[in-house]
Amino acid sequence: MNRNVLEIIDALTAHQDDESIRVLEELGTNSPDNEVREYTSRALVRKNVHDSLKIVIINQGKGINDLSPAVAMSTINEILALKDKSEVVRILDDTISMHSDESVKENARSVKSLLALS
Amino acid sequence: MAKIIKVGSQNLTPNKIANPFKTSRNSTTNPFKYNNFDGNTLPFELAADVFETKSPNKLKMIASSVTGSMNKMKSLLPESIINFVNRVREGISSAWDYAKNTNVSDIPAIKAFNDVMNTPIHIPALSGLSESMTSIGKGITSNIQSVGKGISSRMEFLNTDVTDIGKAMADRWTSLISSIKPNRISSDMPVAELRQLWLNEIELEGAVA
Repeated sequence: MNRNVLEIIDALTAHQDDESIRVLEELGTNSPDNEVREYTSRALVRKNVHDSLKIVIINQGKGINDLSPAVAMSTINEILALKDKSEVVRILDDTISMHSDESVKENARSVKSLLALS
Repeated sequence: MAKIIKVGSQNLTPNKIANPFKTSRNSTTNPFKYNNFDGNTLPFELAADVFETKSPNKLKMIASSVTGSMNKMKSLLPESIINFVNRVREGISSAWDYAKNTNVSDIPAIKAFNDVMNTPIHIPALSGLSESMTSIGKGITSNIQSVGKGISSRMEFLNTDVTDIGKAMADRWTSLISSIKPNRISSDMPVAELRQLWLNEIELEGAVA
């Protein structure tokens, strides 16, 4: 992965502005490069706010629902590594109960099981 | 008969009959075990001398001979070394003084050469030759001077060339340093600028691909 892109993602991760989440979603999670998608998903999880976690949990083809197993597993690992898991558990519960897509619900249920075991 | 039986019973003790080798075995392991010297024991050093061999100690002999040789060398060498160093020092000093106080033209060989070259030859038949020899000497001198001037001018050119090269390298280095962009990507930058930088990177990657 390009070193400049990596530094831009890091800078956006450290940014407090909500606009940074939108940029990460727009340019990072939609990137054709698996590494960029993986790094962006982990960055969004590390932000640990509702908007960023929502992107990697409820969106089809992003974060834990990414078609690349490496990206999905990396995102799940980052979720499991969070110190404060309250927000992610809340989103997972909402996804399991309310999401229209069954595969997204199934993934959310799996992640929640892993969280319970960890 | 009764006396004989009594004597026999006194000499043949039950111990000796039961173990006839006991005494000899004990004396083999420690012959002084049951002896009493009444305090008249020898010091260990004197007792140890009893077991020393009479053959001369070769190691001691070699060591003493080496020590003697080294002492002899110590008494002989320094004087010769000091003399040698003094001679060399005097030689260098005299050579330096000679070089410092002597003109090049006073060096005997060069003086003789100059004398020969400048002495007119008084052979009537060869009067023309003496003039030509003088002119040859002058010509050699002028040629040597011109060679010296040529070398000097070449050195000046070389000096200016090296200076120019150094200046050119300094200019190149300065331009190279100025062309390197500082690492300005940080979270202090506005999000819009970071987004623009990211887009530029995507464009660059697309162009490369």
